[in-house]
Amino acid sequence: GKQGTASKSRTGRLKNPFVKVEDRSRHYRPFYLQLPSFPVLNYCVPKPYSPFEVDKKHPPGQKQTQYKQRTKINSDKDCGIPVQLPQKDKKKRGYCECCGKKYEDLQTHLESEQHRNFAQSTHYQVVDDIISKFVYEFVEYKDDAKKIKRTKCST
Amino acid sequence: TAGIKRDIENLYEAVPQLVNVFKIKEKIGEGTFSSVYLATAQLQAGCEEKMALKHLIPTSHPLRIAAELQCLTVAGGQDNVMGVKYCFRKNDHVVIVMPYLEHESFLDILNSLSFEEVREYMFNLFKALRRIHHFGIVHRDVKPSNFLYNRRLKEYALVDFGLAQGTPDTKIELLKTTHSEDQQGSCSQNKPTIALGNGVSVGVTAPKQIAQQSASKAADKRSSSISKIQIKQGRGGKEDSAHHSVQRSVFGERNFNVYSSTYQENTKTKLIKQAKMIDVSSRKLVTKKKIASTKTASNGAARKAASGCPSNLTCDCYATDRVCSVCLSRCQQVAPRAGTPGFRAPEVLTKCPTQTTAIDMWSAGIVFLSLLSGRYPFYKASDDLTALAQIMTVRGSRETIQAAKTFGKSVLCTQVVPAQNLRTLCEKLRGTHSSCKRSQGEVPSKSVNDSALPFAVDKPCAPETLGKQIHHLENFQEGDSALEMKATDMKGWDQVPDEAYDLLDKLLDLNPATRITAKEALLHPFFKGMRL
Repeated sequence: GKQGTASKSRTGRLKNPFVKVEDRSRHYRPFYLQLPSFPVLNYCVPKPYSPFEVDKKHPPGQKQTQYKQRTKINSDKDCGIPVQLPQKDKKKRGYCECCGKKYEDLQTHLESEQHRNFAQSTHYQVVDDIISKFVYEFVEYKDDAKKIKRTKCST
Repeated sequence: TAGIKRDIENLYEAVPQLVNVFKIKEKIGEGTFSSVYLATAQLQAGCEEKMALKHLIPTSHPLRIAAELQCLTVAGGQDNVMGVKYCFRKNDHVVIVMPYLEHESFLDILNSLSFEEVREYMFNLFKALRRIHHFGIVHRDVKPSNFLYNRRLKEYALVDFGLAQGTPDTKIELLKTTHSEDQQGSCSQNKPTIALGNGVSVGVTAPKQIAQQSASKAADKRSSSISKIQIKQGRGGKEDSAHHSVQRSVFGERNFNVYSSTYQENTKTKLIKQAKMIDVSSRKLVTKKKIASTKTASNGAARKAASGCPSNLTCDCYATDRVCSVCLSRCQQVAPRAGTPGFRAPEVLTKCPTQTTAIDMWSAGIVFLSLLSGRYPFYKASDDLTALAQIMTVRGSRETIQAAKTFGKSVLCTQVVPAQNLRTLCEKLRGTHSSCKRSQGEVPSKSVNDSALPFAVDKPCAPETLGKQIHHLENFQEGDSALEMKATDMKGWDQVPDEAYDLLDKLLDLNPATRITAKEALLHPFFKGMRL
């Protein structure tokens, strides 16, 4: 939604209204945000919605269309709601701290050779050291054991 | 629930030790970095107990996992900080076993809490924060879904140290910090070392593993254009969070908080996106960098990052409405920003490299603001600078700019917005503002024996205090009965003392150096009469 505004001008004057932040050392790149309108506290938004919510003037219900409309016309004012991106997809991609790389699909990455090597490595000693200090205070559930085991073996 | 069943089976399979020990009942939370399950276990002591099993995402670095465990073992288990029972591991799959605390959904109860309950809630939150801050832990993600609350039992638990960082003098060994300066620029990098939080460094084995944040991002998008990075930067990382954000509730959001009874379908998705958005990249183990000039770019990612970094060039854009190729070509400042939008303190939003436990106190202030105003989430911003602008509309632009100076930031804002009176703000938002409402909420003429009051101990029984107590008692004894709605509908909200707003003001102090600490907050007059 909002990507457009800041991107246009690489250099020059920022368009009002904007917020610009820069380290006082002046050694780092300033960062800024230009927005069509500055956020406003809106007391008319019904509880418990955020007073910065532009979408909640009416009780929940007929929102679907409003929402779409707003994202088009007013995308910057509404300071929120990243548009779309289906939950499922997002869930799968991420960054692997072990391998130091981004992945598009979690499962695929976990099965990659690099990750599997890491998973079986001694890097986890630091975790095991802590585990070794815990007191094991559980009793096994004897009766259900078989049933559960079977599920497990059905791979 | 078919999906959840499969998740449970997968978990048994990934960590087979769980099979005979736990009966996993359901999934009670899912976040970017973990899933939490409710299970029962038979203890040697004899009883069967409910446990929360937190399954960490297998991409978590062992050092991070160990640090989380260490927070739980060292600081947890008392003063409303979640403890740990045990931990299971098989390869990269780690499951942390914690006692289960049944808890409310914040949104569900927000507008039914009595004022006294709010006082207790905040008191107990500060107890937990005092505890972790004493150990030099900066939680970084303080928010209602990470502070479990059982209203009936009056039990509380601060959870999730998955984003925690250490203070320079932290007592959590695995959060210990070594350095400081070499982490600030992002111009280029060395063969990477991993620093956890600001912490322990280890060499990364594979030479090509570059964890440098913006560089790898850019590389991944196959875009070498600096302007793209700048866009992200200018927008305070919005693209990043939008891209990766998934709801992040851990042992927190009951039923993922989306089944919350008061909400309808598309509200759910929005809530997920808003309230639980998290910046995944900020959780990346921070790559230690050396200052640019010493580096020869050894691969694509590094080259890209390095290309934009003549960091000593000056221009005249500073503190003006201009940007030019000179200032825009400097490297980005790297500062921790892990956490949840809307709960980030101004020094986090403006990338102040030195962040302290004060950021948690700000977040606690935001929770308090929600409780007093009846609004959750209170701030609604998808990027850091929008969040900052929203903060300005509440705390004042001049004040925000002033405070930012004290931590080394120049903030320029075209809009001049005044600071709000916190009482007026909260009362207007809560709807207890008008004077007619005030008279309506008069103390009911019901005689209550002083000794029956739970908080009568050392309290001067000013009429308003008494009123509060009466409301509280009624609320307690008669529960939800619709009949006494009239007597309790204000629940103390008509007589919120000045101390509440004074404390809120001190929590939302724009200057982290003067912001109230947890220890101080517990001694604030707002909590007069509460036992420490």
